[in-house]
Amino acid sequence: MTIALDKPVAASASLRERFEKNRRTAISTLSVIVFLLAWQFLPMLGAVDIRLTSTPLRVLKTAMELVPTADFANDLRISGVEFLAGMALAIAVGIPLGLILGTSRTARLFIDPPLMAIYATPRLALLPIIIVWLGIGLASKIAVVFLGAVFYVLINTMAGVTDTDQRLVRAAKSFGATRLDIFIRIILPSALPAVMIGIRLGIGRGVLGVIVGEMFSSEAGLGNKIMTYGEAVRIDHLLVYTLFVSLCGYLMTTGARLIEERLRSWRPQA
Amino acid sequence: MAQIVIEDLAIEYKKPNSDARFMAVEGISYSIEKGAFVTIVGASGCGKSSLLMALAGLIPLARGSVTIDGKTVIGPGSDRAVVFQDASLLPWRSVLGNVSFGLEMQRYGGGDLKERAMHYIDKVGLTRFADYHPHQLSGGMRQRVNIARALAVDPEVLLMDEPFGALDAQTREVMGDDLLDIWERDKKTALFVTHSIDEAIFLADEVLVMGKDPGHVKDIVKIDLPRPRTNDMYDSEQFNEYRKILRNHLAKDMADMRMQTVAEA
Repeated sequence: MTIALDKPVAASASLRERFEKNRRTAISTLSVIVFLLAWQFLPMLGAVDIRLTSTPLRVLKTAMELVPTADFANDLRISGVEFLAGMALAIAVGIPLGLILGTSRTARLFIDPPLMAIYATPRLALLPIIIVWLGIGLASKIAVVFLGAVFYVLINTMAGVTDTDQRLVRAAKSFGATRLDIFIRIILPSALPAVMIGIRLGIGRGVLGVIVGEMFSSEAGLGNKIMTYGEAVRIDHLLVYTLFVSLCGYLMTTGARLIEERLRSWRPQA
Repeated sequence: MAQIVIEDLAIEYKKPNSDARFMAVEGISYSIEKGAFVTIVGASGCGKSSLLMALAGLIPLARGSVTIDGKTVIGPGSDRAVVFQDASLLPWRSVLGNVSFGLEMQRYGGGDLKERAMHYIDKVGLTRFADYHPHQLSGGMRQRVNIARALAVDPEVLLMDEPFGALDAQTREVMGDDLLDIWERDKKTALFVTHSIDEAIFLADEVLVMGKDPGHVKDIVKIDLPRPRTNDMYDSEQFNEYRKILRNHLAKDMADMRMQTVAEA
């Protein structure tokens, strides 16, 4: 028996492609260098007020002093716990609820109006009432992270379920699959990449929630420090915390994206 | 007694966005002997796929009955397996995983599942590709997996819904040859829906010609070509005769379709 083979060999990048890729990397790197140089030298030239902008070297020096301190570790721990607890709750609630809503039309119709109402409200506008209810400690920040992230997890999970290819469901049925079989073997795996997208978007919202929550009212945490140093106009201290938060957000989002890409590696690249 | 008996079958669909219903298929009575290869042809919308899905137990009947080996069909069963058009393989599973899928769903307990799946993968010539995922395979290879998945559950009846519809003409011919090779070995009763007149004749013991509005049996054409079928038969006098008969049957529907496309344009 002869078979026409379309061999799935990854096309090795031609020299030209590699050159093009290097060129793009070079331009991006150059842009970062230009920015850092401008930031460093414009204040030195007196073009901008150094008290308002600081410089990259100063920020770096401050970071070397600040980051190893117990105080910094404590702030990181507090913000970290708030964030992780809120995210864990968002995932623990968002995924099952999303699965139920994706599977049951009745549940979807029932829960859609209140869901959309809360979704349309900027969650940070709920911050004052959350603080009234839960105080200024951990609980209110966990709630803010949760509210920020849960909708992304929930809505993407739901979409992942409703987008399940019905042809696959029909094929499973033809082999006598039960409803549970279809849920576990077809719906779950096909929804998984979408669930991961929800978690990734939720992480971004969660970081925002924890920082803004702490800036608004708290006794410690990274957001608390950003607010404190901002009010004291200590720009290099402020920037150390701000940049650290960006870095954390970036790393977590990138991690989530890597998992996401792994999960959908079976999909043909569009 | 015939293995498959279809009696006064009617299938009804709900029109999208309204409560109105229309008949896709009405008044079909037809019997199929065990081990026969039947192809079904007819213009688009004549209900040939609906008929096949009804036999698979995947859609409800509005009237009539289908019995297989004396048992009334009320849903999917392990006595039947369906080969669908493209895109019914689980994209996250390998070839081996896909061929095992039907066995898993039927709670296969007869020994080594993997060994059995590999046996059928070998039958369709994909042993080297057992670890590949569907998106890494050509359309023809994917349909081989589809066929292996159906064969692996060892059904009494093989239901094929335009399995080669998405393939180019050459691949299609090779697939037809190979399908017959496999079929000759254990002669499962086979129903095969197609748009291709040549394919319908080449594969079949009997061609079921369907007409539309609503779907009904127009004619049953016995194909008396010797088996095994060979490619030179395409050019034979006899093949041409069958071609003429089928073309005549479909000509009126084709003319209607032409009118429709002109009207739409």
